[in-house]
Amino acid sequence: MNTGMIRKILIANRGEIAVRIIRACREMGIASVAVYSEADRESLHTQLADEAICIGPAASADSYLSMERVLSAAITSGADAIHPGFGFLSENSKFAALCEQCGLVFIGPKAEVIQKMGHKSQARNTMIQAGVPVIPGTTDPVYHAKDGLEEAGKIGYPVMIKAALGGGGKGMRVSDSPEEFERCFRTAQKEAQMAFGDGTMYLEHFVRHPRHIEFQILADMFGNVIHLGERDCSVQRNHQKLIEESPCAAISPKLRKAMGKAAVKAAKAVGYTNAGTVEFLLEKSGKFYFMEMNTRIQVEHPVTEWVTGLDLIKEQIRIASGLPLRIKQEDVCLTGHAIECRINAEDPKKNFRPSPGEITELHFPGGKGIRIDSAIYSGYTVPAFYDSMLAKLIVHADTREEAIAKMRSALGEVIIDGIETNLNYQYEILGHPDYCSGEIDIEFIEKM
Amino acid sequence: MKLENRFKKAASAARKREEAGKRKRPEIPDGLLKKCNACKSVIVAEDVKKGQYICPKCRHYFRMDAFERLALITDDGSFEQWDMHLVTKNPLDYKGYEEKIAFLKENTGLDEAVLTGKASIGGIETAIGVCDSRFIMASMGEVVGEKITRMIERAQSERLPIVLFACSGGARMQEGIVSLMQMVKTSAALKRYSDAGGFYVSVLTNPTTGGVTASFAMLGDVILAEPGALIGFAGPRVIEQTIGQKLPKGFQKSEFLLEHGFIDRIVEREEMRGLLYRILKMHPLDKDTAWDAENNEQKNGQKNEQQLKRQPERQSTGTLRQSPCTDAWERVQRSRRKDRPVASEYIERLFTNFIEFHGDRAFGDDPAIIGGVADFHGIPVTVIAQEKGMTTKENIARNFGMPSPEGYRKALRLMKQAEKFHRPVLCFVDTPGAYCGIEAEERGQGEAIAKNLYEMSGLGVPILSIIIGEGGSGGALALAVADEVWMLENAVYSILSPEGFASILWKDSKRAKEAACMMKLTANDLKDLHAAEKIVREPEHLTAENLEVVCRELEKQIAVFLDIQKKKQPEELAEERYQRFRRM
Repeated sequence: MNTGMIRKILIANRGEIAVRIIRACREMGIASVAVYSEADRESLHTQLADEAICIGPAASADSYLSMERVLSAAITSGADAIHPGFGFLSENSKFAALCEQCGLVFIGPKAEVIQKMGHKSQARNTMIQAGVPVIPGTTDPVYHAKDGLEEAGKIGYPVMIKAALGGGGKGMRVSDSPEEFERCFRTAQKEAQMAFGDGTMYLEHFVRHPRHIEFQILADMFGNVIHLGERDCSVQRNHQKLIEESPCAAISPKLRKAMGKAAVKAAKAVGYTNAGTVEFLLEKSGKFYFMEMNTRIQVEHPVTEWVTGLDLIKEQIRIASGLPLRIKQEDVCLTGHAIECRINAEDPKKNFRPSPGEITELHFPGGKGIRIDSAIYSGYTVPAFYDSMLAKLIVHADTREEAIAKMRSALGEVIIDGIETNLNYQYEILGHPDYCSGEIDIEFIEKM
Repeated sequence: MKLENRFKKAASAARKREEAGKRKRPEIPDGLLKKCNACKSVIVAEDVKKGQYICPKCRHYFRMDAFERLALITDDGSFEQWDMHLVTKNPLDYKGYEEKIAFLKENTGLDEAVLTGKASIGGIETAIGVCDSRFIMASMGEVVGEKITRMIERAQSERLPIVLFACSGGARMQEGIVSLMQMVKTSAALKRYSDAGGFYVSVLTNPTTGGVTASFAMLGDVILAEPGALIGFAGPRVIEQTIGQKLPKGFQKSEFLLEHGFIDRIVEREEMRGLLYRILKMHPLDKDTAWDAENNEQKNGQKNEQQLKRQPERQSTGTLRQSPCTDAWERVQRSRRKDRPVASEYIERLFTNFIEFHGDRAFGDDPAIIGGVADFHGIPVTVIAQEKGMTTKENIARNFGMPSPEGYRKALRLMKQAEKFHRPVLCFVDTPGAYCGIEAEERGQGEAIAKNLYEMSGLGVPILSIIIGEGGSGGALALAVADEVWMLENAVYSILSPEGFASILWKDSKRAKEAACMMKLTANDLKDLHAAEKIVREPEHLTAENLEVVCRELEKQIAVFLDIQKKKQPEELAEERYQRFRRM
């Protein structure tokens, strides 16, 4: 594969995603440079890369988040490009701009696109203009129940009534019908008045029991944008995704087409390039609403890789090199079913508090349709300074049912000794009847 | 498992790099990054600029050039430059000097090491000068001296205040003795300006040394400094070489100068503009404006609303009655209660916009006395107070409210300033007595108190002293040579503590209670002796919680007092004060 100008990439990240990117580089004949903090001297990404540069002490602010240090390392090592992975500097528009100023290729979208999408209300307005559905709501404050009733009708029930100064659920009510709207409004307003001394209210359509659905998109520098289908990430605990899968059991080919079209529209609206993810809330009725766009590679990208057969990291590098997309939308077809489980160093018995420490024994499963993306090894010490994700276990099978069975089997085989993990917790979820039947929404874990 | 050197790496990496050598390599453009000399971090230059030239990592202050400084401090577009294009005559015919000046002009966009002119800060017009260290370390040659002198003279004729940001290596060697003379020229111009009632704020930035420190930089009515700036006459290296000793950490830094009484305040860069505005606003250059409460109040709309709102409260709580007869010893104990409000709590409730000024400009800054300017009903006043601590730790820091000579000298300095700017002086007295110790005597405790009595007796502005707790002897008196002395109901004022009194007369300090009862030290006693004009009622147990009641009463009374006194001429005030004590 000819990536032209990119011959050496600095990976501005750590852990499994850094390893994932180093592997892609190696396969493409691109030299890799790892950066590491003093706490990551023994880490897999440090040892695996062709070169490694220490960029500071353990604290992220002084190492992986230090733009100046990462840039200096890139220049010193003679890298042509920087892959930011996810987290850390990946969605930092200023960093992307600095790379550009130094003549380094930032593997991701342009700085101004990151900025546009990072600004919530700006992104919402862009989407409204582009015709991408967003959660309907009032832009002007509402003070009187009668005015609210009229607005609510336009927004569509159920309607969330919320205080402008709201917080902690105070001054919030959900109204299911016009009959009860005025009563709900007055109660909420009174509560707001009491709690915040202000009765300024806003209305918003209330999306009941939604699924978290996201669409992977790829965009090259020639205006070609395609989507690679969806991922269902509804299994979340405190907004932390636990299990992701593709395709989503609740999405028909027709709906997929509609949502995919919206995702592509969203990307085109901001002049997006490289890999990105458009997040939606999906209502039971099949209505969907744009939430935000993640302007980077995602943790859960392997499930999309498996059902589409693409290597997303390699595609990112190709796009950043200025190459056009190799496939068109009609070439994309989702084959089989893929599920990813995040295995974290955390203790479910102690409210999921992180459990760093040395891994004394380690065994990972293998076999057909099983993939492990991880940076741990036997004897590795999980540092306390960073994210607690240890590994991603990804399975692929013809059907969802088979994939679940494969995942349960694989999870049951993992041995990680020395620290606490959420393996058993994940095993339980995979056996839950609602999960197995596909009846999940973002409140699933809470209700479990 | 050890992973080191276990993995096969891309052998081609080195070769690839070589190949790539022919193409344009990524590089960090000049000026994109900057290194902080203090913490050694590399920082994005843009962040430094946006962050007012403060290191985002360690808060070290980068030097700012004059244009950047003007942009930070003055209102947009308000700067009008004065006296450009003055040229040095190269008095020593120093070889290469003129070429060097020409080169620097070209490279800095400056015509010399100082920019002078007129600008506004928050709408207040001021003469302003800013030194720029890029120009031969902002050393003072004849052009710098001339520009500053002309600025001072013009400020005098146009009745403008002066704000001058100093930074300099000192005299300019290339100009020899001519440079040295600039020290006198600028100082002499400032003397005339000051005598004509001018107001000059000197702001010291890193570094301010040599002949600049020894002239205009140290002559401000108010002297501010940026944190961590090197300020001194002789440079630290020179001192070290001369005395053959290593200098202590922090020597000659702003904080060192503050501690040693030479600067009024250390001001963070972010707060500089706002503080300069507040200070300028409190220093109108003529008496009429200073006294024009109505005019000032209009500018102070917010505070007035607050005051208006307070009025009903004042009425509802203003029903203090005289407490049943309490014996003197009980009063003594009440005046010493740990939870009795301290002076700063009165200041907080009676004034807005209190700006504390530090230092006696000679030796130190005494934490037992606080002083500065504040707003009272829209009028700038000078407030001076003996400050006890609210906790043991604070009390140790404030020496239990027992002032040292430098405290009294600071008080006098601020009173003189009040006189110059036609501000009334309000003193809060609360001290067991002047500090009794070796150092206090070494530095002339007696002389310092005497000087205050001497100068205060003739001060040409109204003085009001309020004894809020203990009025201990000469230590209290040095803040109580006033037009009127008021006492809180449970305050005491005496020649000595009852313990001391008993010990001297009866050789038994345990007979303090007995002494207290015969010393005539209560507010009532003092009023009977005509040593106090007014008794301010207070709740039986005065604390921070119920202090508001007392302060509202005080506020009313102070307003009446000032209303009467402000009509009097300086000579009249001095005469009345003289007679007040002459009668005793």
